[in-house]
Amino acid sequence: MARIEIKGINKSYGASRALRDLDLVVEDGEFFVLLGRTGAGKTTTLRMIAGLEKPDSGSVAIGGQDVGGWTAAERDVALVLQQYSLYPRLTVRGNLEFPLRAPGRKFSESEIAARVDRAAKTLQITHLLDRKVERLSGGEMQRVSIGRAIVRQPSVFLMDEPLSALDAKLRESLRVELKKLHSDLGATFLFVTHDQVEAMSMGDKIGVLRQGRLVQVGTPADIYDRPLNTFVARSVGSPPMNLIEGRLAGGVAELGAFKLPIAANAAGSGAVTFGVRPENVILEPGAPGEARIFDIEDQGVVKILVMDMGEARLHATVPAGTRVQRDELVRFGWKPDRVVTFDVATGANLALS
Amino acid sequence: MARIELKNIQKFFGAFQVLKDVNLTIEDGEFVVMLGQSGCGKTTTLRAIAGLETVSSGTITIDGKEVQDLRAADRDIAFVFQSFSLYPHMTVRENIAFPLRAVRMSASDLDAAVTEVAKVLGIDRFLNRKPSALSGGDMQRVAIGRALVRRPKALLMDEPIGALDAKLREQMRAEIKRLHISRGSTSVYVTHDQIEAMSLADRIVVMHAGLLQQVGAPEEVYNRPANLFVAQFVGSPVMNVADITVEGGAGSAALSFGKGQSLPVESGHVGHLPGKRSVKLGIRPEAVLLRHAPVPGFAESEVSNIEPLGSHEIVDVRLGDTTLRARVEPGFVGGGQRVWVGIDPERAHFFDADSGMALRRTA
Repeated sequence: MARIEIKGINKSYGASRALRDLDLVVEDGEFFVLLGRTGAGKTTTLRMIAGLEKPDSGSVAIGGQDVGGWTAAERDVALVLQQYSLYPRLTVRGNLEFPLRAPGRKFSESEIAARVDRAAKTLQITHLLDRKVERLSGGEMQRVSIGRAIVRQPSVFLMDEPLSALDAKLRESLRVELKKLHSDLGATFLFVTHDQVEAMSMGDKIGVLRQGRLVQVGTPADIYDRPLNTFVARSVGSPPMNLIEGRLAGGVAELGAFKLPIAANAAGSGAVTFGVRPENVILEPGAPGEARIFDIEDQGVVKILVMDMGEARLHATVPAGTRVQRDELVRFGWKPDRVVTFDVATGANLALS
Repeated sequence: MARIELKNIQKFFGAFQVLKDVNLTIEDGEFVVMLGQSGCGKTTTLRAIAGLETVSSGTITIDGKEVQDLRAADRDIAFVFQSFSLYPHMTVRENIAFPLRAVRMSASDLDAAVTEVAKVLGIDRFLNRKPSALSGGDMQRVAIGRALVRRPKALLMDEPIGALDAKLREQMRAEIKRLHISRGSTSVYVTHDQIEAMSLADRIVVMHAGLLQQVGAPEEVYNRPANLFVAQFVGSPVMNVADITVEGGAGSAALSFGKGQSLPVESGHVGHLPGKRSVKLGIRPEAVLLRHAPVPGFAESEVSNIEPLGSHEIVDVRLGDTTLRARVEPGFVGGGQRVWVGIDPERAHFFDADSGMALRRTA
């Protein structure tokens, strides 16, 4: 059992507060992704759990046990970092064996061999076992460092942006591999990233962190479709959710001079911020809204239109075959049931507050 | 006017050849993006055009005039780097005006030039501030302003927005493109980011290992990749590539994926392929089709992974010896679900298994 529970953690470095009253629960066997920008406190949180950093106040429990007084080695967690930190002179096998030969760990030779073989097989690096690490590609090295974490069979894996240094193609395949690894091992994974695609594609749950505070925890669908506030709304999706200030009156959304339909149960009234994702903005002759095309980004599979409606700049994701010109005036609407309303002042989702 | 022409450019660093016979013509007013991984030679090419790097052999002409032996300052070209390189002790106004110091110009003309470029870039409010008081995006706008104020013949940019966060990059992309359109100056832009290349370029130049792999409009590079490298470098998720054998005779044929699984295709789609040889099939995730129930021409499979990306989902299915990734609507399938897999033959690409070159129908 390796449920992780953090309660009321505060941490400051000099005058800067890295974490503020942070509460966080990662259930046993869950793949939990902490998403946030640089400086949000993601890495600090991870290092608290690993035992590499002491909180100023608050508690960390793993598997129901308060581990505040435990050293990193006693916590049965494995850490995988962006930098591989392998021993360059050793072979892949040597690197994988290393944690098992550490002082205080008594494994028989046959047990060591069995664990290394199993880890290598899981990560598909068996053919590399006798190769020197310095001769491996980036993706292979990262697999070896994950392998080094696996051989100890810890109950918790902590990963700090392990894919960030890899190229796009490798990142894609390692995303899938990590998810498979998670389901094969059944261990608790806490994965830290600034990349919303990684968070959406891998997490059972996502925690959005901002300036040392946890803003929202939920499934990818919760975070994407039911964001608690405008900050969360803009931290996932590419391009991010459009936010447009307008008025909700008489069951109609007023955006400047344009009146767009909206779901009857839309929350709020009067001045609100409307949130709509680019894929839910629709170009159609005769649609109620009008905007001028500022830029067209052809991404091959789709086109992203950057449009100006008065002062507001909107993004629309449209089929690749859509033909429009820069500076053209287009008519647009939206999917009324996919529009979210936020408080203009606080940014809170009006349907959830 | 600035038509840039590279002819037979070779460049060695010691024994290592970074550029291998690069031939490229950039038309006046064109926006060309050089796309490739680090070390592919894209930045070296850019620096050679700018005059920051000599070439081992070959000629570079700007508007018909050979410049490969001219100093950078004599080429009338402006350069923007990823790091902003502004003068911290000068105001934004002084930074932008700096390149005009060498030019004889009245104070009022100078002021007008600075104000004009600052307006275009939306930084006219900041003219009296120091760079340290600006955000990363605004600093890069100032750097671009400083490059443009001289009205250079060409603007060269090396990953100018690579250091900015994702949201700001998106915003700056559109601005850079608009700026190019309003100014009309020839632009050469280097990046490793295929989305940047797709969204900015009139033409993309894909480079790998010092060689030009393909030069074409974004649509062309995406829909008609010249080889496997280009096919898998452009597009996200990357194009599926499967080792297949083409079986069949007159009228209809089948693409065999191994383990007894195959998909039928009309022979018109595969008639140009060399007989009985294994080839590589390239198929983009949006051209992999999934159905909930059996359909003629589709093969049965099971969902092995789902990436819910919000606007769409990437679903992995197994077909013979390969895993294909399909792009579908959110919630289309669940994990472990049975599905039937097909491909859109109109959007299938075939590549030679050895050379990786595209095998196209000679229509």
